[in-house]
Amino acid sequence: MKTVSLQKLVPDYIKHFEAYIPSKPDDVLKELYGCSHLFRLNNNENPLGPPVAAQAVIGRFPPARASIYPSGDAYHLRCRLAEKFELHPDQILVGNGANEVITFVIKAFCQEGDNIITADKTFAVYEWVAEFSGFEARLVPLKDLMFDDEAMLSQIDEKTKILFVCNPNNPTGTYWNEEKLRHFLDVIDGRQIVVVDEAYFEFVEEDDFPDGIRLIKEYPNLVVFRTFSKMYALAGLRIGYLAGDLEVVDIIRRTCVVYSVNVLAQEAALASIDDHEHILRTREMVAKGKELITRELRHLGLPYVSGQGNYMMIKLPMSDTLAYRRLMAYGVMIRTMTGFRFPNYIRLTVSTREAMEAFVEALSRILT
Amino acid sequence: MAVNTENEVYLSLMASPDFTPLAMAFVEKAAFGLKLGQAEALSLTLATEEIFSYLCRVAMPDQPVEIRCSSGGYYVKADFIFSAEDFNMRAFNVTATVSFDDEASLEEMGLLIASRSVERFYVSEEKDNRMRLTLIKEKAYPEGISLDVPEVKPFMEFSIREPDPDELKLFVMLVKHYYQGQITPNAFKYPGKVVDMVDGGEYQGALAIGKGGEVGGGIIWRWSGLKTIECFGPYIFNQAYDSPMANDLLETCLGSIAKTHAVGLINLFPTHDLPGKYFEPLGTLKIFTSRDQSSSVTAYFRQMQEDPGTSVWSPPELEEFLQREYKRLFFPRQILPARDLGEMKSPFSVLSAEVDRSQDMVTLRPIRSGTDAYRNLSDHLSLFSRESIYNIFFEMDLGRPWESEFVPGLLKSGFKPKLVMPYAGKGDIVIFQLDREL
Repeated sequence: MKTVSLQKLVPDYIKHFEAYIPSKPDDVLKELYGCSHLFRLNNNENPLGPPVAAQAVIGRFPPARASIYPSGDAYHLRCRLAEKFELHPDQILVGNGANEVITFVIKAFCQEGDNIITADKTFAVYEWVAEFSGFEARLVPLKDLMFDDEAMLSQIDEKTKILFVCNPNNPTGTYWNEEKLRHFLDVIDGRQIVVVDEAYFEFVEEDDFPDGIRLIKEYPNLVVFRTFSKMYALAGLRIGYLAGDLEVVDIIRRTCVVYSVNVLAQEAALASIDDHEHILRTREMVAKGKELITRELRHLGLPYVSGQGNYMMIKLPMSDTLAYRRLMAYGVMIRTMTGFRFPNYIRLTVSTREAMEAFVEALSRILT
Repeated sequence: MAVNTENEVYLSLMASPDFTPLAMAFVEKAAFGLKLGQAEALSLTLATEEIFSYLCRVAMPDQPVEIRCSSGGYYVKADFIFSAEDFNMRAFNVTATVSFDDEASLEEMGLLIASRSVERFYVSEEKDNRMRLTLIKEKAYPEGISLDVPEVKPFMEFSIREPDPDELKLFVMLVKHYYQGQITPNAFKYPGKVVDMVDGGEYQGALAIGKGGEVGGGIIWRWSGLKTIECFGPYIFNQAYDSPMANDLLETCLGSIAKTHAVGLINLFPTHDLPGKYFEPLGTLKIFTSRDQSSSVTAYFRQMQEDPGTSVWSPPELEEFLQREYKRLFFPRQILPARDLGEMKSPFSVLSAEVDRSQDMVTLRPIRSGTDAYRNLSDHLSLFSRESIYNIFFEMDLGRPWESEFVPGLLKSGFKPKLVMPYAGKGDIVIFQLDREL
């Protein structure tokens, strides 16, 4: 049998990188864990489903259209988003989920020897993409569970190209207010690209929470990520976008894979944008869910971290990975936090009353 | 001969007796160059003579072999790498002799003789149908001096950071002082060795340092196999009962390994300071410190990732144990039957014996199955008995169904399954231990 000279072919930074293994499909998990139902409380999905108009688009999608390529650059969606945010359509790039636009930005600005800066306990994909692309990811510890602006600034050197800020932070739910974000951007003064990931923007109701897209006019080095996966519940269709200054986005576009976003995702996203009722209903569900959970956690005497977003972290008096297995046996799937460097914490997606009650019951059982 | 990196040199030659002096001279000079002392270099050279002669005579006469010498900081390693094609696999049981004669004397056991001269010796199977014989000879270190250990007072404040060499040596000596009578890693006898192990990347560590630079505690960890990390500690010196130091040290370790490919963290030498809420008791092993002294230690474990569930292969004799352990530990597993249905098999099995003389320990791992599995195992056990090796383990990978063929022989020989380490190999690994009654 012929062999491949992998030792010579594979770059060192790939040799040392471990592939992310996603969880198995629900039917397989249910069989392995012996549970008849599964509440998915691990990926911060919205259990209310997509906005009504998006559901209609999905329901009437003609199968014959599956044979036709989609708009290669999500033309109509970009135009509509530009209209909403008072930007030029070319200031927006749509990707196959926000994960893909992270890759676009890193590819566009980093070359050998460069580094990016982000937090140690945040959404891991910035770090992963940098590392499997051969760039250093400088990870700054959180301060009081929040991105530490001063420490991030102190890590910058001449090889730093991008700083990633997750706002609000996943998984802690903390956020930078507009004053803090502006100060950070003022100090950087255009020398690096600042990416603000606003995946959970639509969940936040605080008055001082910054709208990154509105700041792009003042700060041309600012790039903002948003997604249709969370609030708009289109995670299964994979669609997200970035917005930035015209010249900056023109550079990023050069690394963009066109035709990566399917037609159904584009049309469902387009139909979602104006459904403010959907946002209000989701926020109400999250508020009620958090109220129920925090009350029960106080009753159980468990510490928790609950900030912005449709998730919260709970500290357990046991290994989080053991808790995962035991909760799965009761049909409740949460996210362990050891991989986020929060050992013994779990992250819970705040969901419907039925799911929250199932979680509380299962949690009570595994703690006794 | 060529230089690969600053820490590695290699030589390619044929396995011919004419080249034995060359192989010996290469390893000796390389060992000196890699900073091994004279006596240790000589031991490694003698082991090389045995291995090379054995390759020439028994295993693969006149076939190409590559010898690689490299430094691991506190040791020098000599690897013998060669193609396993046209190669007598049976010859790589540590019990194999020049003549394959049942009554052959120990003097004919070239691999065994080689293993006596070094701290560690093992055979492993490489990709591309290649085999590797590894000899590890450690540098000589003085044992930790019995110093008047400075009294450690409870800290009001401390920070956790990587140690410098002097702090590390003091830490090891404090462990010896504060944890007398408890099993600690063998390397802790030699503080200088621990420093070199950290410097060479084999160990990593974190210490809790007080405001005045005092050492209040620490934790050490290292890779154990491809997917598991083993930690030692946390060791805490005279701190308040409710001090957060042990938790903070353990969380530092967990944070450091959180984004590696480690699937589990294991602690085989737990102390009363181990924060139990981070771990699960995996099983109990008996560690012999001499022929007639042993202690029972509970292995503690935690997974580092969510368990996606998997299937494992098991012979009928092991199913009850596996079902009980998987249920107790809530591991989602589908147990598939590994059964002998009369298919043709090789007459000869091969076991890799990883001999660790410093801990009187040997770990057997299957390389090939064969109809002589029980007899081969018995030969190994007789040999280890004669060599006064008391701690005998057998690792069986449940991801490789053919390894099940050793199970009847293991049980017949007195081995008992002790614990299951999830995802530690191709699948879960069951650790068997030879149950010796004192």
